Amino acid sequence: MERKQIEDASKICGVPCEIITRFVEEEWILPVDQTTPFFDSEDIARIKLIWELHNDFGVNDEAMPIILHLLDQLNRMHLELERFRIH
Amino acid sequence: MNDPYQILGVSKTADQDEIKKSYRKLAKKYHPDLNPGNKEAEKKFKAVSHAFDQIGTAEARAKFDRGEEFEQQYQSRSGGPSFYDTQHDGGRYSYSFGDEMGGADFFENLFGGARHRDINFPGEDIHYKMDVEFKEAALGTEKVISLTDGKSLRVKIPAGIESGKKLRFKGKGRPGIGQGAAGDAYVEINVKPLQGFSRKGKDILSELPISFLDAITGGEIEVPTIDGNIMMTIPAGVSTGTRLRIKGRGAGPADNRGHQIVELKIVMPKNIDPALKEAALNLKDQFNYNPRMQ
Repeated sequence: MERKQIEDASKICGVPCEIITRFVEEEWILPVDQTTPFFDSEDIARIKLIWELHNDFGVNDEAMPIILHLLDQLNRMHLELERFRIH
Repeated sequence: MNDPYQILGVSKTADQDEIKKSYRKLAKKYHPDLNPGNKEAEKKFKAVSHAFDQIGTAEARAKFDRGEEFEQQYQSRSGGPSFYDTQHDGGRYSYSFGDEMGGADFFENLFGGARHRDINFPGEDIHYKMDVEFKEAALGTEKVISLTDGKSLRVKIPAGIESGKKLRFKGKGRPGIGQGAAGDAYVEINVKPLQGFSRKGKDILSELPISFLDAITGGEIEVPTIDGNIMMTIPAGVSTGTRLRIKGRGAGPADNRGHQIVELKIVMPKNIDPALKEAALNLKDQFNYNPRMQ
């Protein structure tokens, strides 16, 4: 799994470093390695998603955590359904 | 269909607001995270996103209208995996809300009540990979990583750890269902290389270039170690390949570190000055020897 530092993540997503830092402070992004921090493909896809929700769909800071939370639940639900199907 | 105006369903004379409005409408409809697993929607979303990259700003649009090539500045909307793509085989974020919701219990209730109450199966193990600096691996360190349940895990990296070694954290994997135990988390360590150094068990190996004059006379030479430079005494008459040991500068816990093994390499000057050649010829008369006969 490739990891990127914040400057590289910023370049890949086209999202400024300070915005990414804010996403991390808000705990919308939990970087895979919090020490440096490093971002993996999951983090980068999520940064892009949050940026799209904010920029293109006009989601504000109050609604953002709710939407992310619901998306995480939905994705988890898919996974659990899949696990039940397999077992 | 490559015409961004057509893809976004707007006329060539539409203003930027109309374009944005239309893009937003279509993006909402086809966003891969709102249509998980729907490949057709994903394709459409990419097309719509690309079209918006082309004409979404007045600047980009002017370029497009002039027929200039579209330059991708960054991965942008249409590139890279969608967030859903990174989650549908199991991602950290999909598990991050587990505990708030009551985790596995929530799903048990959801899927089942009485009929499924007997279902027990253990949680899966999760495998992480972690890059560690050469020095950190040699002397030990502590890192914090994010687990799939959104919690942080403090990973104590023991001094002297080697690449490929896996640390196990019992019960830190995915939660089990029913009575099933939680899986374990494994963190595989990858030690990053450090120019000029390598590791062999607890010992650190390095190469030290010296001049042939130092090789003859011996002397004090500065040697880089992972603790910084130190002075090392070189005995007279060393050869390329001679190994010297610096005690306690290797890897391992502070009270039990390995050694640094310094391999000497005699390096000639880049250009042989005529005076040096002359001096060597004189020395040869007096001190020549045959190293193949020793």
